[in-house]
Amino acid sequence: MFHLVFASTLVESVGFGLVTASILAIAAVGFTLQFGVSNMLNLAYGDIMTAAAFGAYEVNKAGAPLWVSFIAGMATGAVTSVLLHRYIYRPFVRRGTQLVGLVIVALSAAVIIQNALLAGFGATFFTLKLPHTSTVHVAGATLTVLQLVIIGIAVAAMLAVDAMLRRTRLGKAMRATSGNPALARACGINTNRVVDTAWLIAGGLCGLAGVLLVLNTASFESTTGSDFLVITIAAAMLGGVGQAYGAMIGAVVLGVVTEVAAAYTRSSFKEVIAFAVLVIIVLIRPQGMFGQPVTALTMNKEVVN
Amino acid sequence: MNRLVLRNMLRLKPLACLCATFATVFALSACGSSGGSGGGGSAGSPDTGTDTLTFAAFNTFSGPNATFGPEQLAGCGPAAQAIVAAGGVLDHKTAVCNPEDSRGDPADAVPAAQQVIATSGHLVGVLGPGSDEAPATIPLFNRSHIPMFSDAGQGLFDKSTFKYFWRILPADDAVGYAMALYAHQQGYTRVASVFGTSIGAQGSAPTVAAGFKKLGGTITTAQLLALDQSSYRSEVAQMAAAKPQAIFIELDPQTAATYLSEVQQLYHQVPIIGTDGTTQPPWLKAVAGAIGKTTVQKFYVGAQPYAPTTGPAHKLWLTQLHGATSGVAKPVSQWENDSYSEAAWDATNIIALAMELSKSTNPIVYNTYITKVTSPGHVIVHDFAQGKAAILAGKAITYVGTTGPITFDQYQNSPGSFEINKSDASTVKTYSAADLQSAK
Repeated sequence: MFHLVFASTLVESVGFGLVTASILAIAAVGFTLQFGVSNMLNLAYGDIMTAAAFGAYEVNKAGAPLWVSFIAGMATGAVTSVLLHRYIYRPFVRRGTQLVGLVIVALSAAVIIQNALLAGFGATFFTLKLPHTSTVHVAGATLTVLQLVIIGIAVAAMLAVDAMLRRTRLGKAMRATSGNPALARACGINTNRVVDTAWLIAGGLCGLAGVLLVLNTASFESTTGSDFLVITIAAAMLGGVGQAYGAMIGAVVLGVVTEVAAAYTRSSFKEVIAFAVLVIIVLIRPQGMFGQPVTALTMNKEVVN
Repeated sequence: MNRLVLRNMLRLKPLACLCATFATVFALSACGSSGGSGGGGSAGSPDTGTDTLTFAAFNTFSGPNATFGPEQLAGCGPAAQAIVAAGGVLDHKTAVCNPEDSRGDPADAVPAAQQVIATSGHLVGVLGPGSDEAPATIPLFNRSHIPMFSDAGQGLFDKSTFKYFWRILPADDAVGYAMALYAHQQGYTRVASVFGTSIGAQGSAPTVAAGFKKLGGTITTAQLLALDQSSYRSEVAQMAAAKPQAIFIELDPQTAATYLSEVQQLYHQVPIIGTDGTTQPPWLKAVAGAIGKTTVQKFYVGAQPYAPTTGPAHKLWLTQLHGATSGVAKPVSQWENDSYSEAAWDATNIIALAMELSKSTNPIVYNTYITKVTSPGHVIVHDFAQGKAAILAGKAITYVGTTGPITFDQYQNSPGSFEINKSDASTVKTYSAADLQSAK
């Protein structure tokens, strides 16, 4: 009897974890793409997610269908990311600002975006209007149709990223730029354009993750995305920073561990356990599950020059 | 700025520019604020100035509890504007109420409080601090001789010895007993307790559980949730497995919206009995957005300090609230029956009347007059203008505000009654302090 209850709880929490993992995977892949091609730790990423959610909210409020809100959110994320990179981060990198300086700049950008959203929309909570969704039982877990849609969107997005990285010239150029920017440039790749495009795509993923996040949380405000930043970075690190496939696996591990931990321990321990898993894995493999060993983390100034 | 300086600035590295900009802004703000007459630090100086008197709504304006600050400001702002309209306090014709963000976290609140003390103009009173930052910042304001009317609910302030600490709202532990009593009277015997991990949420969690057990009930699950997660499905499944008849709850708006929407998806909606933290409009807006307005109206009640919704003081409060030209978050109607905004309005009036009565804006002097303006048996006044007129006519006054009569105990607390309200602010039950004894 005990075993049955235990197994049923486990299956249920794994199912719940997959929903969280889906959102996390999209966010972490976007984050790691940006980092992979430009070595920029974009700490404003969570706030861009929020900005995207507000973009979707405005369109949703005007009565547009949900899929249009998704596109609006992705567009907001993409445009904000490119502008942020081109007009704030890149000038600092070109001037040779050191890693700590860039982190401060990124933190400043995060604060600016967050407070601009607070000033623009006010200190209150917002909800995207949704059609009523029914509940379904899938492999022992109870999920709503919306949550299944979230999982479906995540799978589609991951397949699209995979296809883009493996089968398109752009994807190959991104991988080349990520691996060795100087060599990529010597081979005739316009690394500036590749980096801009990577930020555009990653921003779109960031926006998509932001919209899915606020659909899942049911309500959001100006700090909702920033609360999701740490676990996004953790998923990216777990998989190996700069490794898109690693970020996907890292997201699944963290998403599932978080929910399983909540099912068997106290809720307040769920992040403790998830991050303990992260620390243990990084202790064993400092480069993450799929990352290449690195000797030193340096800024690729030449990427954007 | 001449061209040479500008060119040199442009040659600086961007980070240096950023630092220089921060430094300039900081210096300018320091210059701008030095025009006052010393603020709280000048407590011992005689009242010879005619400068603007500053009230500070020191509470949370950002983060998970960002609703608390606007709530204080909605009371303090209209009161300050009415004080100005009534000719000001003594020779000070102008008064303002400034929003000061404590950020809801002790680590951020301490420097924020120090900044308020150091840079505010003639700071005469603080509306706050709230529960999240009170233990860390009350000693700072007290040391600077700044009277504060706190909305902190912790029981540890029930017997406060801080000379400048005042509270005209009941403590959180009393909220817990009111919730327990209401659940018992509704016939519930199995209730789940769901609270957040913030400091502010801990005040009523123990007493709601203790009170409900004393009344014969069972807490089916006692959950302490990490705030602002993207999902609480596993926690909801745990809670639902114990089949509670109702939920005792205090969570920030976003967490509550996520949790309760998942309750609706995975279980079925059960009655929700919230603390006073859940009675604020942004909380109700977030939750209504997640589970539907009609569901909230049907299943939710919240306990909050009782404030009459009729009477002359309430009428004055409504007039001044709606007449305020700035500082009140829209829609203004959301604050009409918010007992925390009403308490902030009362507190601002009391501080101003204490200054008027003591003929001093020196807090060391007027702090001791706060009990004199509220003590019973004198000419009853309901706002600053009425009080000022009576004082100028040489009469002793009893201030009875929109929160009702205020009687401070030896610890400068004025515990009042509680009401259980629905989401449309209609009252379903009122409990006096004596009623709550059965749950203690």
